[in-house]
Amino acid sequence: MRIMPALLILFIAFPAHARDKVLDIEQVTSPGGIKAWLVEDHSVPVIAMQFGFRGVGGALDPVDKQGLSRMLSNTLDEGAGELDSQTFQKELRDLSIGLSFGSDRDDFSGSLKTLSQNKKRAFELTALALTKPRFDEEPVKRMREANQSRIRSSLTDPDWMTARIMNDRAFEGHVYSQNSGGSLSSLEKISPEDLRAFHKNNIGKNNLVVAVSGDMTKEELATTLDNIFGDLPDVKPPAQAPDIALQNAGKVFVFKQDIPQTIVEMMQPGIDRHHPDYQLAQVMNFVLGSSGFGSRLTEEIREKRGLTYGIYSYFIDMKHFDGLQVSTSTETKNTAEMISLVKVEWEKMKNEPISEQELQDAKSYLIGSLPLGLTSTDDIAGLLLSLQMDEMPVDYLEQREDKIKNATAADVQRVAKELLDSNKMITVLTGNPENIAGSVPIEKLPNVE
Amino acid sequence: MQRQSRIAVSLAAALLLAVPLSYAAAKKEAIKEETPVRQKIFNAETFKLDNGLEIVVIPNHRAPVITHMVWYKVGAADEDHGVSGVAHFLEHLMFKGSQGLKPGEFSEKIRSLGGNDNAFTGQDYTAYHQSISVDQLETVMKMEAGRMRGLNPPLEQVVSENKVILEERRQRTDNDPRARFAEQLNAALYINHPYGNPIIGWADEMAALTWDKCKAFYDRWYGPNNAILVVSGDVTGQQVYDLAKKIYGPLKPVPLPERVRAAVPPLEASVTVRLEDETVHQALVQKAFIVPSYHQNAKESLALQVLEELMGGGPTSRLYKALVVEQKIATSAGLSYQGSMWSDGDLDLYASPLPGQKPEDVVTALDEQIRLLIKNGIPEAELSEALTRMQAEAVYARDSLSGPAMIFGYSLASGSTIDDVEYWQYNIAAVTANDILAVAKKYLDPDNAQKRPPVTGYLLPKEKPPETALSAPAEKAAP
Repeated sequence: MRIMPALLILFIAFPAHARDKVLDIEQVTSPGGIKAWLVEDHSVPVIAMQFGFRGVGGALDPVDKQGLSRMLSNTLDEGAGELDSQTFQKELRDLSIGLSFGSDRDDFSGSLKTLSQNKKRAFELTALALTKPRFDEEPVKRMREANQSRIRSSLTDPDWMTARIMNDRAFEGHVYSQNSGGSLSSLEKISPEDLRAFHKNNIGKNNLVVAVSGDMTKEELATTLDNIFGDLPDVKPPAQAPDIALQNAGKVFVFKQDIPQTIVEMMQPGIDRHHPDYQLAQVMNFVLGSSGFGSRLTEEIREKRGLTYGIYSYFIDMKHFDGLQVSTSTETKNTAEMISLVKVEWEKMKNEPISEQELQDAKSYLIGSLPLGLTSTDDIAGLLLSLQMDEMPVDYLEQREDKIKNATAADVQRVAKELLDSNKMITVLTGNPENIAGSVPIEKLPNVE
Repeated sequence: MQRQSRIAVSLAAALLLAVPLSYAAAKKEAIKEETPVRQKIFNAETFKLDNGLEIVVIPNHRAPVITHMVWYKVGAADEDHGVSGVAHFLEHLMFKGSQGLKPGEFSEKIRSLGGNDNAFTGQDYTAYHQSISVDQLETVMKMEAGRMRGLNPPLEQVVSENKVILEERRQRTDNDPRARFAEQLNAALYINHPYGNPIIGWADEMAALTWDKCKAFYDRWYGPNNAILVVSGDVTGQQVYDLAKKIYGPLKPVPLPERVRAAVPPLEASVTVRLEDETVHQALVQKAFIVPSYHQNAKESLALQVLEELMGGGPTSRLYKALVVEQKIATSAGLSYQGSMWSDGDLDLYASPLPGQKPEDVVTALDEQIRLLIKNGIPEAELSEALTRMQAEAVYARDSLSGPAMIFGYSLASGSTIDDVEYWQYNIAAVTANDILAVAKKYLDPDNAQKRPPVTGYLLPKEKPPETALSAPAEKAAP
């Protein structure tokens, strides 16, 4: 009888049709040479298209104009061609077209979602926004004020403050330490001319990556790609920032706030998504802290001791930095205990192999749960885009599955030993913690005013 | 990163489709005969077991996965006076040991089978849900059925989990002046009504919760005849019915008390809630009204849903256009309506004033937009555009696995019927300009005294004369 659960788990982890593709990804090239990945699904008359421009993120913002890339993402859908802001937005809204843009430190992206019946106009409006944005004074000012309002609102959010300090200290001296959302004063300096120049210099066909899912055929996509993106120019590849090692490792920073809980963020160096051990590190982190209930951090700190509502560890994948971070919060008096409990789990993961049960559970979850995140056209297009932005091969999902399947407890321990080092952690605490030895006070939030 | 969220504080934001709820079931036969070709949004199949368990199945064959949810028709508003938070605490304890499962094993087992699970509590319902490979449906059902009547957490687990919910309250509410403001505004709006208590509970009452109190609540409300099973995904109705009959069928129904919601009495005084806090740097103004839910008045609720789309639906809606684009006195403005309630619904007008604007003037500008609507009416084109947009929501709502399960769950748990959900788009299309003006006049008119006056709220920065507002926290940090 005892063998039954194990067999059951094996069956799930290694289904008979394991060689089936996880997703049926088609690679499409337009007559004009634009490439895209497509997953066709005609069950709902909806099309989701996501696209990105590599290397065009906040890392390109000048220091006195932090938030420039973010502002471009806010204003690109605020009027284009003959259509002013309200006319453009009204047409999107009346046709129920979702068109929006986003920017992070490394990349710029766009997202389009439309009903099939409105696709022609949806594609035209997207092309117009990308190639003929207006950057009129009125919407630029309005978006600047909305961003300033967002920053002022965030000043009541201790999680946000903690993240701001972490970025500032962990990436000290590097462009990643800047506030990619802008500061109150830097946003003031960003003009329509700045946006026009940033757009002209960086949004190009040669940076472009496209992913599509939903009610669209391969043939139709090929012509659509040229219609939407064909008029984009080629641009000079943006200058790249250097890689950066974690700064201020081993230090603890405290930002005093009069709140009942302390927010805790701890970060150490992580592992690149292209590294051969990356999937083993994912297995390790599932057991350590990424899985919520059942993870060692949650079991020891929430379930056994009631010290927090939530504790997670997760990898940070950036172009020039890789991190492994822990986020949690606890009543002020427990702060020191919380930090030492996290470090205990770090040592345990290095010193003993994970159990066979933990290994099997991690494998089953990491492989079996993937389809759960692929149940809408947005989800699928989003995954296709992120794989391409990270320059992963088209069979990445199958490779990932193989690597996870073949992991052993010894492999995981080897990776833990190579990767985990609690002495290299930088820690940021926001709240009123006491008895934190050697902590450095933060006087003022950096790059906010 | 996603944190575990076991409480639906702002449920509306999580939902794809602002669907209604009502007991207009009596009408459905007649409507069906009149228009036999009407298309349903989801084509759900429904069943009922002899023990009273309702079953809704929404087939969706995109991927070999399912979402399995059990909704109990009980929530924070069903708590006795003085034991606020017990519904939500019980929801946490449901993971702490039940028939055949050790504390914590429920979620661990779901993970080990490649699935995700969680739960949340609202004022009118409590829901438990799992998303997992379709071949695990039977396993998941057995586990969920096992804790429908067989909860038995060890005492030490109850004690440590009580600390967890207090940490949850600190994290969600006490650490955040915006959340404390929302909590107090809500308490001022729902006088004498259970919706005035926060779902998570008041801190002192939460700390005093015991297993006995949770057990009493569990025994009173948890049973197959007070639950709705919703399964969405790669299954047929027959498959789910057969399994449910085998697994949930043997559970005995429980004697159920009536759901009571004490009413907000007629009031006279106009109430203002004002919270000034040193950490607030962006003011917020809000005007909250009690209005009918779908369950209370389907026709008025449908009109309020269209009103929400006209006034508050995005960057070209009336309030944003007037206050943000034209008058330039705010950075955001809108109207939100929550009608998916068993008892009273509520409606909020809100705006974030730009620095230098008097908050009171911004409230006046919100009022003025309601006056203009009542005085000038709604142009035909504006209404038909709004109705067209709302029709499209019905199509987008199908592009999801768990979204439709959510919609059926909260709609049925707060008094709606299956047909109310399936034919929502036709009911919305029938709303007229006069319907909308009638509800605006009846409930929102600033020049007419309301039976239950709105509450006006101001969340404001605290003036600190010697320092600029931004450097205040830094000054405090100096040793």
